[in-house]
Amino acid sequence: MPHLKTSYAKYQNDPRVAFVLVSIDEDAKRLERYLNEMKFPFPAARMTPADAERVMKLDNTPTTFYVGSDGIIRYQVVGTESHGDSPQRVAWYIDQLKTGK
Amino acid sequence: MNRRFLIGTAVTMTVAGGFAQSNAHQQLERGLAFWDQRLAKSAIVALETAARDKETAAAAHEALGRIYTFKGWQQESAFPGWHDEPALRERAVTELKAAVAADPSRTSAQQALHVAEGFAAAEAVDPAPPRPEVRTLDAKLLSYQGRSDAPVAEIVTAIDARAKAQADPAPYFTGAQILIDRGEYDRAIEMAQKGVPVSDRFIDENLSAYQLPGKSQGSYARGRSQAADLIGWALFLKKDYASAAAKLEEAERLSQGVDFANQFHLGELARAQNAYDRAREHYLNALSLAGGPAPLRQRATQALAVVAGDKAAGGLDAWLGPELARRQEGRRAAALRSLVDRPLPNLPLTTVDGRPFDTSGLQGKVLLLNFFASW
Repeated sequence: MPHLKTSYAKYQNDPRVAFVLVSIDEDAKRLERYLNEMKFPFPAARMTPADAERVMKLDNTPTTFYVGSDGIIRYQVVGTESHGDSPQRVAWYIDQLKTGK
Repeated sequence: MNRRFLIGTAVTMTVAGGFAQSNAHQQLERGLAFWDQRLAKSAIVALETAARDKETAAAAHEALGRIYTFKGWQQESAFPGWHDEPALRERAVTELKAAVAADPSRTSAQQALHVAEGFAAAEAVDPAPPRPEVRTLDAKLLSYQGRSDAPVAEIVTAIDARAKAQADPAPYFTGAQILIDRGEYDRAIEMAQKGVPVSDRFIDENLSAYQLPGKSQGSYARGRSQAADLIGWALFLKKDYASAAAKLEEAERLSQGVDFANQFHLGELARAQNAYDRAREHYLNALSLAGGPAPLRQRATQALAVVAGDKAAGGLDAWLGPELARRQEGRRAAALRSLVDRPLPNLPLTTVDGRPFDTSGLQGKVLLLNFFASW
């Protein structure tokens, strides 16, 4: 997940873009340790695994949803991609959505 | 003094009147030309202006009526993703009646009204075929397929002529493929690139024909994916593997991995790089998808025999059958799970220390939502 920090650098001053992490950890202590260690520059929230499965049909982590400014989910990327997630790839999805197409 | 003033005013008025008239005629011409190219939004704007002028009202109302007749009854699948717009049917009849009212002697408007009223009474109406002019230009362009003797300049002229007659991106993409087959990779890349803004504009101009935002989004993505795949394939044939990979993978993201040609091209790239595992996955993906011309499917199967290794030790067909079935099943299951093109549901989120998480600041933003677990 360090690639998300790198990706975010490009958008940290862009008011039209937001990053949110959603942890489905059940061990709160462990999660806190992880977040303290990683120091993500964007918010992290929590959801129970059962809610994530029910609401987002989540069946694997990591799963990244890219949502357009109209609130419609446009891309859903499950797992790490075949050649590894890269900041360029994350930026590609976001830039597609920023053009609104 | 007084008399001169009056004359002056009269002259001014005549000039102004003449200007308004020529502007209305201009708008009428523009509107008709836009519609010939199937640029509906611009056509309607121009024709509505022309309809407000007495000189051009009858012709403009008739043209608007014909557009709405097409949109209401005749555009189902006229282009990928298009559907009839029944909400415009009444509008078609109203416009055509306005045309006849503006000029009762206008037979073309009477005929168009008669046709629209016939459609309104009919059980079902067939989609409109392409204009004969476009069909001729399409046939001309397609005649260059597989011909190695035609001068390249002639092919480019045929692409441009077809693109000028109708504003959809198809001639650029068809043309790019023909140029690739001729070994004209740089020109092919240029054509495919030209197709991207053309595709976007064509969809923008006809947005209501897609009915649902998911469908127009899908069409934007299709145009871009087609262009990226063609460019990537041309780059591959130029042996620029790194750039080819970037474009072919972009096409894969845009097509959500379900485009036959793109998966085949990714397979060819991986095979050329001796990455047989990756090649095998792409060929299998390709063959598990419907579509793709028979010769390409055959090439994918032959390529698979090369990269299968000992996986197909018990015979290629015996291995292929279950492999393809497994992929189709996986895709069905993923489609059922996927939330793509659906609104983001309300999320029952809490902060890390258990308080409600406020999502109001996220409204209207492009959002990256990463679900993870630290275990």
